Amino acid sequence: MKREQTLVGAGVLVLGVLIAAGALQISSDAGYGGVGPNFLPWVVGGLLALCGAFLVWEALTGGFRQLEAASGADSGHWPGFIWVSVGLLANAALITTLGFILSCTLCFVLAVRGFRSAEGRLDLSLRALLVDVLIGIAISAPVYWMFTQALAINLPGLTSTGWL
Amino acid sequence: MDTLNQLIQGFISAGTPINLLWCLLGCTIGTAVGVLPGIGPATAVAMLLPITLKVEPTASMIFFAGIYYGAMYGGSTTSILLNTPGEAGSMVTAMEGNKMAKHGRAGAALATAAIGSFVAGTIATVVVTFFAPVVAEYAVRLGPPEYFLLMVLAFCTISAVLGQSTLRGLTALGVGLAMGLVGIDQISGQARYTFGVPEMMDGLEVVLIAVGLFAVAEAMYFVLYEARTVETQNKLSKVHMTRGEWRRSWPAWLRATAIGTPFGCIPAGGSEIPTFLSYATEKKLSKHKDEFGTTGAIEGVAGPEAANNAAITATLIPLLTLGIPTSNTTAILLGAFQNYGIQPGPQLFDKNGALVWALIASLYIGNVMLLVLNLPLVGLWVKLLKVPKSYLYAGILIFATVGVYGMRQSAFDLVLLYGIGLLGVVMRRFSFPTAPVVVGMILGPLAEAQMRNALSIGEGKWGVFVERPMSVSLLVVIVAVLLLPRLMKLRKTLKNR
Repeated sequence: MKREQTLVGAGVLVLGVLIAAGALQISSDAGYGGVGPNFLPWVVGGLLALCGAFLVWEALTGGFRQLEAASGADSGHWPGFIWVSVGLLANAALITTLGFILSCTLCFVLAVRGFRSAEGRLDLSLRALLVDVLIGIAISAPVYWMFTQALAINLPGLTSTGWL
Repeated sequence: MDTLNQLIQGFISAGTPINLLWCLLGCTIGTAVGVLPGIGPATAVAMLLPITLKVEPTASMIFFAGIYYGAMYGGSTTSILLNTPGEAGSMVTAMEGNKMAKHGRAGAALATAAIGSFVAGTIATVVVTFFAPVVAEYAVRLGPPEYFLLMVLAFCTISAVLGQSTLRGLTALGVGLAMGLVGIDQISGQARYTFGVPEMMDGLEVVLIAVGLFAVAEAMYFVLYEARTVETQNKLSKVHMTRGEWRRSWPAWLRATAIGTPFGCIPAGGSEIPTFLSYATEKKLSKHKDEFGTTGAIEGVAGPEAANNAAITATLIPLLTLGIPTSNTTAILLGAFQNYGIQPGPQLFDKNGALVWALIASLYIGNVMLLVLNLPLVGLWVKLLKVPKSYLYAGILIFATVGVYGMRQSAFDLVLLYGIGLLGVVMRRFSFPTAPVVVGMILGPLAEAQMRNALSIGEGKWGVFVERPMSVSLLVVIVAVLLLPRLMKLRKTLKNR
């Protein structure tokens, strides 16, 4: 836990430094105001760097203060996490080519497998696959139609009919 | 009289069939997201923000507001029947409500929660009706220095006063402010932190941050840490209160309304504090102290449930009259107004009076709808809890995609969404609050503009913040808010020594 907390604190510290470094490239031209567009970036960078430093210090001297135990298991279920991650990233990569309905269904099917494996009842049979695909389509298709047909908001489709 | 006339106009506009339908739809979705674990009103409103591209403002604000307070009704169902509160505001309800349900009195607990929410919501709406125009009239006189300080006050309370750790609250606020920096600077028109990516020029989308931080993070957290725990559900009994239970409930509702409403009005955010306060009050005043924590005391459900609805409704006052959001959902509602090019603030009542009054009128209508949706139909909502978690969370991911993609049609945003989801998991695991991120991101750019305008007025001198009586008093309040809780704690430790 100590190592993880130190990492989180260090991450905040680095973020603060990066924002401050970015602030160097922003003009300080104040115009009529007393401060220019680079003022808040400096403040935010400073605030985060300071918080990060304090967090690292807390982590090294007995851990974060006033911390309730996080809910759930002590260690993560990484196989399940990978299923869900692949689902989300595949969706990002394929949504413009496969269209909303199919891409979201794929994401749904992959994510369901992830959640099931974390629950300890992963079922890779063809029947489960078929059921999940059908449920995925049953959720994403009406959503798609509601947006494209009823609200006329553009979502990508496999065809340009607005129905698939 | 003027207020009543405008309210009647509001009722006429909110009472058109199409607006009634939006209100009903909002209340229904609100109850559903309140009941379902893993998705709350902030997420739901954020996912549905794309409709602001097409639907006219009055209808969509009525719809969003319905989701906002509807979720508070639904949240009590989950906390009473499962021991997992759907919303932060229903955490206290879970303590007594779940005990009552375990002893076969789930129905009475649900009834007192729903009727209490109705009573408190309606009284708080009356307060909004008569109090908000007064605040707006007064707020017109505030200049940029006062506005800036009011926003600083909101930042302080939400990050440094609420929550467990000031340090983690401030860190979360810093992250939110940093997100708000991305894009074109409002005053000079200069691009900041865009890394040459054209999508970044418009800034980060509120939808993206909110959906990533709440929905995607929730799904990832579930798969990583929570999927292995098994929940048990309490049996639903007949939704009915005996005469004795009525007699014990109504004073609790009224006391809780008196506690919750002022808390919503001030920029102190959230409904957690008033619910805890109300719980403590009821426990102290109750003639049935032995029931608290054992068989479940009905006052312990009636009070907190009424308090959170009163607080939630009253948060509309700072949102509408000052443009200052004090919770996750109001921050996103502010984003919705901005999508229409409307800036909530004192001028809102003049410029968009019809919209505001229709919105306020819809609160009265919505509370009645919710009472009907939640009392006789509670059995239907309980069925929602039977949806397997794997389908529920995977379905939420589809809705997350449509919300984020529908807003800007960019696949790049979906990759960002994944990143924000990871951030949310880390924040949840290490107990960083999320409200400061969302409020900081949305309010940050506004606060910066007010600050720089104030400095221009003061010809570049920081003295402008202490020259006017109002701004000085605000500064005093900020210092008090930051110091008082700490001094009280110090006194306590010294006393105990």
